[in-house]
Amino acid sequence: MASQILPLELIDRCIGSRIWVIMKSDREFTGTLLGFDDFVNMVLEDVTEYETTPQGRKKTRLAQTLLNGNNICMLIPGSEGPESDS
Amino acid sequence: MDESTPPPPDIDAYPPPPPPSAPTGTPTDFLKGVVGKKVIVRLTSGVDYRGVLSCLDGYMNIALEQTEEHVNGVVTNRYGDAFIRGNNVLYISAAEPL
Repeated sequence: MASQILPLELIDRCIGSRIWVIMKSDREFTGTLLGFDDFVNMVLEDVTEYETTPQGRKKTRLAQTLLNGNNICMLIPGSEGPESDS
Repeated sequence: MDESTPPPPDIDAYPPPPPPSAPTGTPTDFLKGVVGKKVIVRLTSGVDYRGVLSCLDGYMNIALEQTEEHVNGVVTNRYGDAFIRGNNVLYISAAEPL
């Protein structure tokens, strides 16, 4: 059987690269992944937070940040987030 | 008697203590590094609390000093000490270099 890769192994391979985090709410983050734990709490660097509101998208720049895993919905490795072309 | 005084352990038998390692970047390492620094704590409601992180635990319960409450970028309150229950925390961000 072809070698399996577990979901958290996939995230582990993303350490050091850019990642796009989509929350359960209308909130998204991009940043460089420094690490994470079993709850998928994540440490990110050079972070941009995107808040999508009826008034438009609000961007916030952050330095090193610990993101609570409780509200994370989806992770997209190697992406620059909602403003990337791909 | 000899049996009552065991020889001191051979220090060479123990591995040397690990060097003061650079943070590897896990959440625990981040939290160790950020205590005592200025931080921005954002709650899931979108309210920000900026202050000096005095301590915290594995639930992300947080004690802040010199706390400023920011709503939509405007300071709405100041507290000397504040405790934030961890379930409300969206993120903890370093507000000064680590």
